[in-house]
Amino acid sequence: MKGSIGRINEWFHRNGIFLKAFGVTFSSVVLVAVLITVSTLRLSIDYFMETFTITNERIVNQSKERFEYYSNVVLDTIYSTENNVRIKRAIIEEQASSVLHASAFYDVVNELEQIHARLQPESADLVLMGENGALYNMNYAYWPVSSGYLQGLDFTKQLSLNPGMIQYASIGPDEAGGERVIVAGKAFKERSSERIYAYIYIVIRESDIRRFYEGYTSEENIMLLMNRNGEILSSNRTDWIGDEDAAAAAIFGGEAGTSGNVPAATVKGQPYQLLYEYIPVLDIYLVNLVDRMSIASQLVNMQELVLIVAWIVLIATILSWLTTRHITLPLTRLVQQIDTLTRHHFKKPLKEEGGYESVQIARAFNNTLEELNQYIQVVVASQKKQKEAELQALQHQINPHFLYNTLTTVKFMVDKGDADKAIETIHALTGLLQNTLGDISETVTVEKELSYTRDYVLINQARYGDRIQVNYFIDEQCRNCLVPKLFLQPMIENAFFHGFNRKKAGYIQIMVYRTQQQLICEVADDGDGMDMEKGWTQHAQEGRKGLLKGIGIRNVQERIALMYGDGYGVAFDSAPGRGTKVKVTLPLLEAEPKQFQPEKT
Amino acid sequence: MKKRLFIAILLLTMLLPACSGKKTETNADAGSAKGDGAGTGAGTTVTAWAWDPNFNIRALELAEEAYKGEIAVNLEIVENAQSDIVQRLNTALSSGTPKGLPNIVLIEDYRAQSFLKSYPDAFYPLTGHIDADDFANYKIEATSHDGEVYGLPFDTGVTGLYVRVDYLEAAGLTVGDMTNVTWQEYIAIGKQVKEATGKQMLSLNPNDFNFVRMMVQSAGQWYFEEDGSTPNLEHNEALKEIFRVYKAMLDADIVKLNSDWSQFVAAFNSGDVATVPTGNWITPSVKAEASQAGQWRVVSLPRLQTEGGLNVSNLGGSSWYVLNQDGKEAAAAFLADTFGSNVDFYNTLLADVGAIGTYKPGIAGDAFDQSDDFFGGQKIYSDFTSWMADIPAVNYGIHTYAIDDILKVEMQKYLKGEDLDTVMASAQAQAEMQLR
Repeated sequence: MKGSIGRINEWFHRNGIFLKAFGVTFSSVVLVAVLITVSTLRLSIDYFMETFTITNERIVNQSKERFEYYSNVVLDTIYSTENNVRIKRAIIEEQASSVLHASAFYDVVNELEQIHARLQPESADLVLMGENGALYNMNYAYWPVSSGYLQGLDFTKQLSLNPGMIQYASIGPDEAGGERVIVAGKAFKERSSERIYAYIYIVIRESDIRRFYEGYTSEENIMLLMNRNGEILSSNRTDWIGDEDAAAAAIFGGEAGTSGNVPAATVKGQPYQLLYEYIPVLDIYLVNLVDRMSIASQLVNMQELVLIVAWIVLIATILSWLTTRHITLPLTRLVQQIDTLTRHHFKKPLKEEGGYESVQIARAFNNTLEELNQYIQVVVASQKKQKEAELQALQHQINPHFLYNTLTTVKFMVDKGDADKAIETIHALTGLLQNTLGDISETVTVEKELSYTRDYVLINQARYGDRIQVNYFIDEQCRNCLVPKLFLQPMIENAFFHGFNRKKAGYIQIMVYRTQQQLICEVADDGDGMDMEKGWTQHAQEGRKGLLKGIGIRNVQERIALMYGDGYGVAFDSAPGRGTKVKVTLPLLEAEPKQFQPEKT
Repeated sequence: MKKRLFIAILLLTMLLPACSGKKTETNADAGSAKGDGAGTGAGTTVTAWAWDPNFNIRALELAEEAYKGEIAVNLEIVENAQSDIVQRLNTALSSGTPKGLPNIVLIEDYRAQSFLKSYPDAFYPLTGHIDADDFANYKIEATSHDGEVYGLPFDTGVTGLYVRVDYLEAAGLTVGDMTNVTWQEYIAIGKQVKEATGKQMLSLNPNDFNFVRMMVQSAGQWYFEEDGSTPNLEHNEALKEIFRVYKAMLDADIVKLNSDWSQFVAAFNSGDVATVPTGNWITPSVKAEASQAGQWRVVSLPRLQTEGGLNVSNLGGSSWYVLNQDGKEAAAAFLADTFGSNVDFYNTLLADVGAIGTYKPGIAGDAFDQSDDFFGGQKIYSDFTSWMADIPAVNYGIHTYAIDDILKVEMQKYLKGEDLDTVMASAQAQAEMQLR
């Protein structure tokens, strides 16, 4: 768990560039999409509502004109009926006989039919009730009423209270015995006696009056007729008809002859934009309600819009992911490769991949790396060459004192007549010189190195006597291993000349053995020893008595380091009075069979 | 500001197609809902227009329940005022496009010939679907044209004289005295009844010529010659006799005049009149006044004292017509299976709606043989059906209502004292002018 969190953290860390670039692009896309959507939505809805309102004002006005036209027809009908002498006479005059009576009835209907002809296109019915209860209903199917019903109607009483005034009423479905109707009525009275002789009713069914405005309406665009009390007389929302909404009526403020636009009105508990227009003749308000929300939701297909925006965001996100990834991934990989470069010792070139820029960067990096490596190689090679030259030069610098001393020793031997010993010493010297001067290879086998060492020891013993004994402990398996040439000689020399200054006799033990991967050579003496705190270098300098000028223990140390690197070299262990032990650690390298052959001289 | 507007318009134009697309969809829906024969749902949609929810629309609903035909029919009944149906048929048929018209339409018999003559190809002949001999003779006459039967006869307007037994008894008369009388005898009885009870004999509307049409058919006559288009007024003895009877009734002061339907119904419901001479369809209205139960009887209509005058007639009634457009086979099959052959259905029709059909096998069922306590146990339906068989077949012609209007005016003149021959000649001249 922790590991995975760590890995995720690492991923985040490694892909920082990508995440930043992608994050900026992504949030910009989302922000732009949302802002543009919201602002265009609001803009378009506002614009639409503006035009919608203008249109609706026209519609309301047109509907109003339609109502006014209807009310004019109604007025006209009522006045024509009232002023028709034949009708008046037929109703008022007592008919002496059935024939006259029939003729009177005929006259009234005949006249009414002509008057009704104007009303007929409006689908309105004309009903005339005489004082004697005679009823003339021009379209019985529209309003099937009897005179008894009309006489009991509240509206009739209202008409009788105000004769001479045209009044309007809406009669609900219960009272009308069918569909809701809107009735205009007037009581006709005799001028002379103030007696009411007839009532006229112009009836239109709610469904017919609805036709005046229904064509303009929809579920969200509601029209209704409302009287002063807020009673809804007609509406395309048929379920509202007959309901009362006094709160809505309060909007009109009881002012007659006004019109208005209330952007946020509450009708039937719902918010609407309300337009109203007063229709003076009918004394009602024509109200237009617009359900902004649902119009807007119809105007804009929210689902589709959200889908489109989501698609745009998705596509933009994918594209930006891909391109950002395309740009930053090679960079990230480059960085990763550079991070791991040390592990490969700056040897492994970077992969040149990705976009143009990253390829160029990788190429430049690789070129630099290559040149650097070349340069290093040159430096290393030249250093090696220098060391070799140095070694060669040193090899050639045989100490004249050594030669002189050795030759003097031989002379004494000859003088003493010890010819065998002299020849032996001369042999050792020639072998030593041959090896020292002749062989220029850097490494030799342990066998060979030991042969110089023996020659050298022999010479030293010849010169200084046998008081210092040298013992060899050689692991036979090591004889064929390669070692730096002449690396033992300085240590033996060191032991001979510095180890036995106070102590005059002793032993030098030379051990060569191998471990798993290393070849260990130890040169231990039981001589004076030295104070390690002062450092071994003071003893390691070239003495005048040495074989070779310049080849000392320091030189051996440097050569081993140069040849084999860290982890190999010379270690001292010494204490005054306890002798000195020098331990040389070398890599275990076997000579190839070829090198087994005797080397050229 | 201009830019913002531009963006808004751009957005609108992008969004509008989606909106308008929706709208057209709903329009298409509305169109198919109205139905012009295109099948929706399981069966063929058959649209039918009728006008009375308590009578002919109810009959259609019962027919749908009774239908057991092979073709699956999805009946869609649309209620329209009769005047609207007539107007719409005329508008659509005269423009030559039956689009928007139903498959089945109910047409009043008086108007049928006018449609059949004016638009001979608009209707689908039912001759092969029904047996004309199974229907009342006068109905087949009214629904046929050029030897083909176009209408499936629905209800009969067979007439009778509804009489108040109590008023007759008060005048010392019996129902028997009112049976098979002439109009003259009727007037004489009327005077007696008025004298005894103070009640009028009948209620008439001077603007409604139902009464005249009823009487003219009882004599086997009509406003036209047999061709249905030549006015026959001036020398129509039956019509002249009707005018005389009309005037005599008014002169005898036995008529309670009414000016509209409500007053007509009120006249007998309130007990103001002793008789009601009219079509059988008034039965429910008569029975509506339950307090008069047992007081009413139905006897045969008085006859005219002219050649061929009978004690039977017809008033109103209508028939089903199939329009000659897609779905006509299904519509015809539907009608033939129900109104055209289903005997049980006619019993249901009478029991449920009170409608007397004109399908002879159908009106012989048990329902027609039942006695009615409101009419003192009289088997009125069986009486009506027996009279129906004798109704004289006449050609109603093409302009019955136009002649009505002319005659109303002339009737007034006659009532006011003009010579009968003169007013008839005037009516003839007007009719010829109008129908030319």
